[in-house]
Amino acid sequence: MARSSLPQTITPPADERWEQQIRKGALEMATLAAFWSGRLYGLEIIRLFEESPELAVGEGTIYPILSRLKNEGLLSSEWVEAEAGHPRKYYWLTDAGRARLQHMTQSWTDFSREVGKLIKPVIAQQKEKGTK
Amino acid sequence: MTGTAEFELYNYLRSLRENLVDIPEDEREDIIREINAHVRDRAQEPNHSVTEILRRLGSAEDLAAQYRREALIRKATGSISPVVILKATLQLATRGLEGLAIFLGAIFGYGAGIGFLITAILKPFFPRETGLWVGPGVFDFGIHTPARYGDSVHEVLGWSYIPVALVLGLIFLVVTTMLIRKWLRSRWQRGVKINSIAHAAA
Repeated sequence: MARSSLPQTITPPADERWEQQIRKGALEMATLAAFWSGRLYGLEIIRLFEESPELAVGEGTIYPILSRLKNEGLLSSEWVEAEAGHPRKYYWLTDAGRARLQHMTQSWTDFSREVGKLIKPVIAQQKEKGTK
Repeated sequence: MTGTAEFELYNYLRSLRENLVDIPEDEREDIIREINAHVRDRAQEPNHSVTEILRRLGSAEDLAAQYRREALIRKATGSISPVVILKATLQLATRGLEGLAIFLGAIFGYGAGIGFLITAILKPFFPRETGLWVGPGVFDFGIHTPARYGDSVHEVLGWSYIPVALVLGLIFLVVTTMLIRKWLRSRWQRGVKINSIAHAAA
């Protein structure tokens, strides 16, 4: 198969599915990482992710993930009375959560470095085309 | 919030509660309380109507389904019920090849186990047709008409077939359960891909 024909075989839906898989895989790590500096409640996580379009997720996605991470023992939580007039459920990393996040971060860094080496020529060519 | 918005939120939370019946009550009420707080906090932001907030949360059915999926898999890791374990593996089968392989393994293991148990129960009713059939190239557990294999193949266990089939059936059921629970636990602890983030990019 000629290389020049490759881009024509990849349809936009396939690209979207691939991007979805990447986001799915990274979402748990991103959620744990959001708690690295301290405790947060669900909406604060959503707002944090909204700051970057690449991280924006369905609002209904975050709460089941928080629930699961808590059940796995990676997060702890407690209800805190707030000025808003209703309590908010705050989460924070447990020791197991910190350990898991550090492990995930190492794996992510190693993986992305190796993939980065492979796609370096592609990026260089794209830049070259962009400057022409 | 306006009365209409309160009513809209009330209906959403009621529907969510109804769809979370499988989840323990304290956990269910915790979820309702958290979603309630989310909507009330969001509604205080400019340009956020309750209708829009609820739309972004997804339908109460879809939201509840995400919680229920995780609860089912969690329950299966500590369950000895083949029904619960099969349900959990069926959930996982829809999420990838590994889950599908485990589901097929569960079907085979439980199918074989139940098959042995059924033949042990049927032996007193069909004593000449049920047993372990052995002959040239034949080694076959189950129920067959004697005419199927001819004279060269014989049933070799007689009434001993009942305890043998009971033990084999139980071994298949127990080993299948233990292996799947072990796999579910390892997947759960690793937290990889069995989570319910299928709607991540919704």
